[in-house]
Amino acid sequence: MNRAFFIWGRSIHPVRLLATMQRMSEISPATEQASASSKRLPGDLAIWFFIMAELVAFAVFFSAYAFTRAKHVEMFNLYQQTLDRDLGALNTLLLITGSWFIVLAVQAAHRNDQKAISRNILLGFLCGGGFLAVKVIEYSAKFGAGISMSTNTFYMFYISLTFFHFMHVILGMVILAVLWLQSRKGVYGSHDAHGLESGAAYWHMVDLLWIILFPLVYVMR
Amino acid sequence: MNSLKNPANRAWLILIIATGITWYLGEVGAAGTAAIVAMLAIAFVKGRLVILDFMELRDAPLLWRVLLEGWLILVSSLILLAYWISLK
Amino acid sequence: MQYKSQAVAKPYFIAAIGLFVGQILFGLILGLQYVLGDFLFPAIPFNVARMVHTNLLIVWLLFGFMGGAYFMIPEESETELFSPKLALAMFWIFLVAGALTIVGYLTVPYATLAAMTGNNLIETMGREFLEQPLPTKLGIVVVALAFLFNLTMTMLKGKKTAISMVLMIGLWGLAVFFLFSFYNPVNVVLDKFFWWWTVHLWVEGVWELILGSFLAFVLIKTTGVDREVIEKWLYVIVTLTLISGIIGTGHHYFWIGTPEYWQWWGSIFSALEPIPFFGMTVFAFNMVNRRRREHPNKAAVLWALGTGVMAFLGAGVWGFLHTLAPVNYYTHGSQITAAHGHMAFYGAYAMVNLMMISYAMPILRGRAANSNKSQVLEMWSFWLMTIAMVFITLFLTAAGILQVWLQRVSDTPLPFMVTQDKISLFYWMREWAGVAFLIGLILYIVSFFVGGEEEKAK
Repeated sequence: MNRAFFIWGRSIHPVRLLATMQRMSEISPATEQASASSKRLPGDLAIWFFIMAELVAFAVFFSAYAFTRAKHVEMFNLYQQTLDRDLGALNTLLLITGSWFIVLAVQAAHRNDQKAISRNILLGFLCGGGFLAVKVIEYSAKFGAGISMSTNTFYMFYISLTFFHFMHVILGMVILAVLWLQSRKGVYGSHDAHGLESGAAYWHMVDLLWIILFPLVYVMR
Repeated sequence: MNSLKNPANRAWLILIIATGITWYLGEVGAAGTAAIVAMLAIAFVKGRLVILDFMELRDAPLLWRVLLEGWLILVSSLILLAYWISLK
Repeated sequence: MQYKSQAVAKPYFIAAIGLFVGQILFGLILGLQYVLGDFLFPAIPFNVARMVHTNLLIVWLLFGFMGGAYFMIPEESETELFSPKLALAMFWIFLVAGALTIVGYLTVPYATLAAMTGNNLIETMGREFLEQPLPTKLGIVVVALAFLFNLTMTMLKGKKTAISMVLMIGLWGLAVFFLFSFYNPVNVVLDKFFWWWTVHLWVEGVWELILGSFLAFVLIKTTGVDREVIEKWLYVIVTLTLISGIIGTGHHYFWIGTPEYWQWWGSIFSALEPIPFFGMTVFAFNMVNRRRREHPNKAAVLWALGTGVMAFLGAGVWGFLHTLAPVNYYTHGSQITAAHGHMAFYGAYAMVNLMMISYAMPILRGRAANSNKSQVLEMWSFWLMTIAMVFITLFLTAAGILQVWLQRVSDTPLPFMVTQDKISLFYWMREWAGVAFLIGLILYIVSFFVGGEEEKAK
């Protein structure tokens, strides 16, 4: 067995390089949130891994936009004027408020206020719905004017970025819908808010992305 | 004013006001270095509030706070760099 | 083994390994033809050898996937296979059809083969990787449908676990996307556009689901980590795979007549494709580190860890190397692509099949694991094949960089064949690495026939 272990021991060595990952995964789940002083990652490690992957994707998209703009400043400034800033700002307000409701839902879970959990998730979901409605109005105006991804580089980025984000709002709302159904069954409370916190973290990410996207694409010049 | 003791409520209020400022800067047609820096700074503060008070990473293990805030710093710096190049 | 009908996996595994040997032999012939152009000409011309090399790869991987699925689904569903007879019948149909196809490639000119097999009815032949004659293609569809029917019925009467659901989505996707091999538009742009729906959406989409679920299955069995934890990681990996892989198809749509935005979408999303592979590596090491039992089959665990790392390197890192549109503008279709192709296929799909075979074969032969002596030999074969593949990749990468430089970037670009001459040293070194790989593969096979004290089956 010794020789087998020798070869095998070699192969497992890289594990030490991943020791940091190990420590991340050992962080205990939501059950011990009573001790507020201890450092705790809300939600599941897997969702945070996922969120980081998503953030990297958008970081690449944002910098691609910014650096391409640097090459075509006049074109970007010209067509940016055709975007509807009012609707963009309104959508920011909707997402911020939607995020806020979900924070309130998590706080309600920690004090076992079952009714407030469901109500706040539903309100957060409705804010997301409002965002989608506003976006559809904005898109129909643009597409109605015959604008497409092939019109020019600015519109290519405008449509790509906002549409990719749009899909994330939809995914976030699907997650909220699941959370709402679960919360009606009384799944979440001070004993366990793990799933709720995981979904909430994703929803806040959708908000965080729009907070960068709105000034970048709609306003900054 | 009791409700402002909740950090989430405070964050929400600041986020709403900040969004209004960005919108207003757009309305008056602010452009150029000062406007860009101001808007990026506002976006940075907003993003940080979402990370710390909405995602509740203020008391999370340092690694995750660093990852998320690091992302925000990285993205803002890259955007700033690109805009700085465009102004030259 | 827990269910008698899992035994149908055995012939599939044996056929897979047999075809794998064939693939490597043709690989060596091809490698030699790179440097000795008329080697075996006119008996086996380069284009035929290449076709046999790639087709054998696809067919043996499919045999491996099917064997793995026949082994895994009854155990996951906790019930016997719906129809073991159907599974065996399909095995023989697939094997005979595959063998006849290869014989056809080797004995008649390709155009004659096309005329003989009714290519004029529906023109499906002549596209890379999808060269199979119409009867073979139809045979693949029949075999795949019977296979999916068999497994789906098994699942319906038994337990439905997340891991088997992911596997079934992967296998159904494999069958559905193969249908695009029958769609061959006259317009060359559309032709390429949909050709990738089979080729890309297989290897960078649904096959990754198969890979993920096999890996998850073996990790559950060998580490004893909670199913819940493993399933959670599988979900994250699957979602990231699908987002990056599906939109990442765009990295094949640069400058082929498709709209310009594909350069952005393709570059950005395919640049994210390493992330799920990285996730798989972290996942495999993490689970093995948190293991709650020492499984006697160390070799299978080694393959599981290896496939994570090598898939990340080959598919992830080497893919990223040339996926961005401005880079690909120079590297397209060079030896860089060949380097990536070799390590990605070995790391992701050859290794995951070898892992599954390594885990399942001893159980199918009535023991928990092979003897210690046999496992030591198998681990040597692991290291030999893996290191040989790393060298094949490095030599081809060097050849590719030189090729791109001499032929495309330089101020005085050289013609293709002149460039090939100048990089022949790397082709020779690649050939020797290929020989080492073959020795590794022979050791792998030998390890199954080495005796010694064996662990009893549970």
